[in-house]
Amino acid sequence: MEFPAALFPSYFGVGPPQEEGGPAPVAGWGEHGQVLEGGSGRRQVQPAFVPRRGATGERWEAADAAVVPLLLPRAGCWIPSPAPQDILYRSGLCRKLRAGKSRATLDFARQLGHFFVDHPEDAFGSLGRLLHKNFHLGNSKLQRPARSSTIRMTALVEDIDRLEARRGCPRQHLASRLRWFSHLCRDWLFEVPLGLLADCLHEELMQQWSNLLFDDSLTGGALAWLPPEDGGTPVGCLVHPGGQAMNHLYFQDVVLEELPRTRGSPAQFELSGRVQQVAAARVDGQDFVGVRSDYHCGVWRVLGKRGAAPTPLQVIRTDVPASSLTVSPHVPGELSVCTQSGTVYLWSVETGLQQLRHDPQTMFFRDHSPWRWSDFTAHPRVLSCADRTGLQCLDARAPKRCHFDLFKVGKEAGCQQGERVVLPMYLGRAHPSQYLVTTQFSVYVLDERLPLVPVLKWAHMMKAPPLFAHLMPGKPGRSHKVLLGASRTQELLLLQYRGGSQSACQLAGTPQKLHNIAGCLQHLPTQLPHHHHLLQQRLTAPAAGLAATLQEDGPRKSMLIFQLSEAGDVFCQRLTHKAAQPPAPPSRDEATTAPGSSPLFEAPASSPQGLGGEKEEEEEQTFYLSNLEVIINDDEEEDMGTPAPLEEAELVQEPCTNPQPSPAVPSPATALRYRRWLRALSRVCKEPPRHTWPFSLSQRRLFTRRDLEGPPGPSNLQRQMRQWLRQTMEEGGRIQHWETLALQPPPLPQTLEPAGGPDPLSARLTAAWAGDWEQWWEERTSFSVAQRRQALRERRRQQKRAQGRRSLSASFTSSLTYQSELSELSDTGPSLFSPGRPPILSQEGSPPAGSPPVGSPATSAAPDEALLSSQSLRCRGIPKERRKTLRDYLSVWAECPPEPPEPPGSQASELCFPSSQSQLSASQPLRKRPRMGF
Amino acid sequence: MDSFLEEEEDEEAPTVVVAGKRRRRSHPAAQAALQPPLHLPFPPLQPVSSNEHKLNFKKSKEACLSYIQDALLQKQWKRAAEFLTCYVESLEKDYSREHIGPSEMIWRIGTEILWHHSQSSMKEFNCFMEQMKTLGVKRYLKVCLEHVFHLLCNGQIDEAYQNLSLAESWRFGEQTAIQDKEMKLIQAYRGLLDYYSWSKQKNILLEQGEDGFSDLAVEQEMHGYFRKAAVNLKEIIKIPGVWDIFVKCYVDLLEFYGDHNEARQVLNEYAYNSKFPANPNAHVYLYQFLKRQREPKKSLISALKILHDIVPSHELMIDFNTMLQKSKKRKKRRLGLEVIFAALDYAGWKENAKAWSCLARQVKQIVVSEKHLDWIKQEWSSRKDWWPAFHFSRYLAKRNWQEDKSLSYEKALVAGILLGKGCKYFKYVSHRGCKAQLKRFRMLKKFVNRHNLVYLKISGPPDSSVQP
Repeated sequence: MEFPAALFPSYFGVGPPQEEGGPAPVAGWGEHGQVLEGGSGRRQVQPAFVPRRGATGERWEAADAAVVPLLLPRAGCWIPSPAPQDILYRSGLCRKLRAGKSRATLDFARQLGHFFVDHPEDAFGSLGRLLHKNFHLGNSKLQRPARSSTIRMTALVEDIDRLEARRGCPRQHLASRLRWFSHLCRDWLFEVPLGLLADCLHEELMQQWSNLLFDDSLTGGALAWLPPEDGGTPVGCLVHPGGQAMNHLYFQDVVLEELPRTRGSPAQFELSGRVQQVAAARVDGQDFVGVRSDYHCGVWRVLGKRGAAPTPLQVIRTDVPASSLTVSPHVPGELSVCTQSGTVYLWSVETGLQQLRHDPQTMFFRDHSPWRWSDFTAHPRVLSCADRTGLQCLDARAPKRCHFDLFKVGKEAGCQQGERVVLPMYLGRAHPSQYLVTTQFSVYVLDERLPLVPVLKWAHMMKAPPLFAHLMPGKPGRSHKVLLGASRTQELLLLQYRGGSQSACQLAGTPQKLHNIAGCLQHLPTQLPHHHHLLQQRLTAPAAGLAATLQEDGPRKSMLIFQLSEAGDVFCQRLTHKAAQPPAPPSRDEATTAPGSSPLFEAPASSPQGLGGEKEEEEEQTFYLSNLEVIINDDEEEDMGTPAPLEEAELVQEPCTNPQPSPAVPSPATALRYRRWLRALSRVCKEPPRHTWPFSLSQRRLFTRRDLEGPPGPSNLQRQMRQWLRQTMEEGGRIQHWETLALQPPPLPQTLEPAGGPDPLSARLTAAWAGDWEQWWEERTSFSVAQRRQALRERRRQQKRAQGRRSLSASFTSSLTYQSELSELSDTGPSLFSPGRPPILSQEGSPPAGSPPVGSPATSAAPDEALLSSQSLRCRGIPKERRKTLRDYLSVWAECPPEPPEPPGSQASELCFPSSQSQLSASQPLRKRPRMGF
Repeated sequence: MDSFLEEEEDEEAPTVVVAGKRRRRSHPAAQAALQPPLHLPFPPLQPVSSNEHKLNFKKSKEACLSYIQDALLQKQWKRAAEFLTCYVESLEKDYSREHIGPSEMIWRIGTEILWHHSQSSMKEFNCFMEQMKTLGVKRYLKVCLEHVFHLLCNGQIDEAYQNLSLAESWRFGEQTAIQDKEMKLIQAYRGLLDYYSWSKQKNILLEQGEDGFSDLAVEQEMHGYFRKAAVNLKEIIKIPGVWDIFVKCYVDLLEFYGDHNEARQVLNEYAYNSKFPANPNAHVYLYQFLKRQREPKKSLISALKILHDIVPSHELMIDFNTMLQKSKKRKKRRLGLEVIFAALDYAGWKENAKAWSCLARQVKQIVVSEKHLDWIKQEWSSRKDWWPAFHFSRYLAKRNWQEDKSLSYEKALVAGILLGKGCKYFKYVSHRGCKAQLKRFRMLKKFVNRHNLVYLKISGPPDSSVQP
């Protein structure tokens, strides 16, 4: 425990911070800070000076182009947390008001409106029931007797609609009628008094908004790496949360190979809350893993030998959410817990909890945040406890008397105004008395032996405060590596420092940005726009944890970094150590750029172009900075620079001499990983939420009222169907398979057939929209010709058999060709909708017989009588001479026993048509009369 | 203290206005939530309308800056340099009132690039720095200082000295507090370089003195350096701060010229002035000075006692302990035991064989003499609940045995005395030691067995149950 013989010079002042605050984008560059004579002990002719910052460090280079998924996505889709645009007021005017100044407006009214619409029973239940007779919502005039006790609400609703159209106008003049109405009923209409409801909602919105600005519950990160035992097999254990609510804890063995891979299935524990933090420490050859959720903290023990199951040791419950949990690196089974009420406990598995401090106030000055943190120090009985204003150390043996200030946001550490502690961490593995403190602006290294004066300070320039940190101690003579990670922006920064015992602390090398999760998006196989969007959303989810390990195989040293996202995905990347090659050729530097040129810390939401789909306005504007052309996307986020504009910028600037460093391409193994991960992801997210699936259109707009009027007498089948539908509706259930009906036709011969039929394009599109485009393609390509022929022959035979049984009219010759046409046409490719899917029911509630699902055999077995009326045939553009043929044919078809029907046409557009319609359009000889039909 | 921060928070918080809520009540929770917990940049929002996007110089500037930042963080110096040449234009319309203006950014980025760029030379760097010095008056001294640092790190001491002299003579209106500090630092570094020149001359003179010559000119030059250095160094060490090198050099100068009182005063001030941070080195320097002056043990001990109070884990604690152990006074020996116990509390001392041997020796002494067992008892009482797990676990016994036999010997002795012969650590080590036929381990076993009753006396209050 040596103390450096001389420290770097620095001023020391007491009091509040004086430097003006504010995030400074480049504050960390270009400064040596101070110098110190640090030559070897011998007095030389000339003193040798070393800088505090700017000394050379180790060279670490990314081994791959982007992060690689480590775990396959688990079942259960992830629900993204709200985005700013969900709760903020969006309007041009507000933006103008906001211009320059950071000012957000919560969209309070919209949220309240959502509540009224989504929970009308809760909002207006009893009075609504009482009054509903007195409110009239129709267009018709009121009848005389009713007029005295009923008011027409239509005009009011129209007023509201008009108001909706003018949203965003701050000076919206409320229609007097609306004002009158709201004045009249504000006090009694609502189930919950409006003021109270508004307060609650407002509070919740504020909470959501402040969480969006900065969510400190994740501090510390929920990912831990239990390294392999020295000299043992290179199998470590990754502890991470998972599941839809992140309430499952997994202990997954990971084999450290070139691309780390999982081994065996993980040990799994279900917890009763969302896992916010996973902390681990190794004491006496055993790993102790502490897990924090809001109201529960638990501790597990994992024996050094891999393969041994982790043992849960103890769980504690807190009344106030816990905000920190750290595991002692000194004494086995000791942890420290902090709650948001400002209580610090030393938690020993053997002796239980010992309260060290209870103080709801912050330590050095007043700050609103209830966040507290505690960690261990070089002395096993001395705990540090932190809040946003600084750190103090407490002696557990006499916590009231023995304490000292370790760090204070103030002039002592040269802080800026507004600076707050974000994450403290004990750096015991690097040096027993060192401590790391990050704030939103800077990172400090402290030495307990010289409290209050940071031995190292550096402005980290990260866009979001670093919530995660990980230390990889260097062997003597080598630098210690510290990884800093931010949550919202997924930033990841590698710092190196050395010193602390013989020499003063120095920052070594330049900080280095590492790949973030979102960066691998561009290396994934091309996706369809909506898949791409989902994928992007998943990959840009805020980071939730960080872990890393150093690996040395003889001369080869590498660093593996694991990142956890809020969606529960774990990604890893490898950095390899390059032996010092003093003047490194710059070209090498440039060639090994991280995932392309995606500029530093671009907000994760930003993405390369290609999702214009949901961007309402995507304009590009070109600004000129004389010789630099920058193309700026409209989005504020994107103007941080997406790869595309960057490329342009470079190209414009220096077209040939300095080509854009081409993004390194992922290795084949990595590419395979990506593909597998994607496949698993699409499988996991295959069952999309029901409400988003049926792409149904209103039928009212497609047909006139007359069209929709059913035939005078419904057929037997129709009646049956209707009855069934009604019954189902009464029960509130849904119809899964129409086939379950009594008249089930014999199963089809295999109809998987490539779309040799009329319209491969539409078939493909349909498949794509349904999400199994890949499958469609595989089937299309892999289906052998022989099989196809076989299937065709089989079907022909069946058709002949069916025809043989019929007695056909004289006009059948024409309808025979027709029939073959029909069957050919209707064989459009594979059945796109697996029988497991629920049928699509139009929302408009068309006549039941008209809406049997596409893909159900019952459809074709029940031709609609409406078709047979010459009027309807005419209006569908069928020439007179053919009408009879068609009528005959259809009637024959209706009467004859159900034959093996063909799967109906599969154009996407047909999905929503009544089946009769679709059948017709499919059955018409399109090639002959291309303009016929729709 | 509270008031200033409240003020500051009012400015910093991005104001959140609630639209649509017409009745606004002051809700305490909501009020609290109004203030985001940290001063943070505003999260990016989706754009709403495009009509306000004009040809925007600021925007392109920011974009350019972010490219530079990206390149720097990926060590693409060349790319960064290219972008920087474009960014220089941002100086033309520098209306920003930001904390760090474009000129400072250019200085910082440019410096960083020139440090690392493969094709940069010192000449270019100097040229760039000269330009940067003219860019901003407020930053002149800081840029000078950084320039000097770079020159010093590259061994160009003379150029650095010239730069320091130039910077020192710079005057521009009234100085701000920060500039004042920077000026003081510049003077101090000049003093430091003067000191190095002085010590060079001194060495020459000493060599010549050996040969019997003496050069008056050299000697005068040396005295000149002394005066210059002393004046500047004296100034800076009056201001609260960490001035280790300056203090060391100044004391060296004073000692050479025999001004021991002044030196002692400087060191006392540096160590004991409460405005200065609690720097362990200040106490170390004082102790070393006292030792050089052959001061009596008493003053040495009192200097180290204070060091022990602020940093119980300092490496000098071993010296302190040895010094105290040799003392005849009981109180001092008692303190010695306290010091070594306290040092071994720290994780950094866990495997320090020297410290363990100090403790083992003293404990053994006490046990043999059977006097002052209560000292051990007192020290042990606050440690008995965690030292066994911290120091004397079976795992550690194994590891210590493998890595350092003498450490495990000392530790086993202490463990045997404090925890009895049933202690895991002692059992493991003595078993292994006897197996390996090491004589001292057999002696150790015998010793502990003979004094096994001691641990009963040490652990637990009299007539109470015995620690397992």
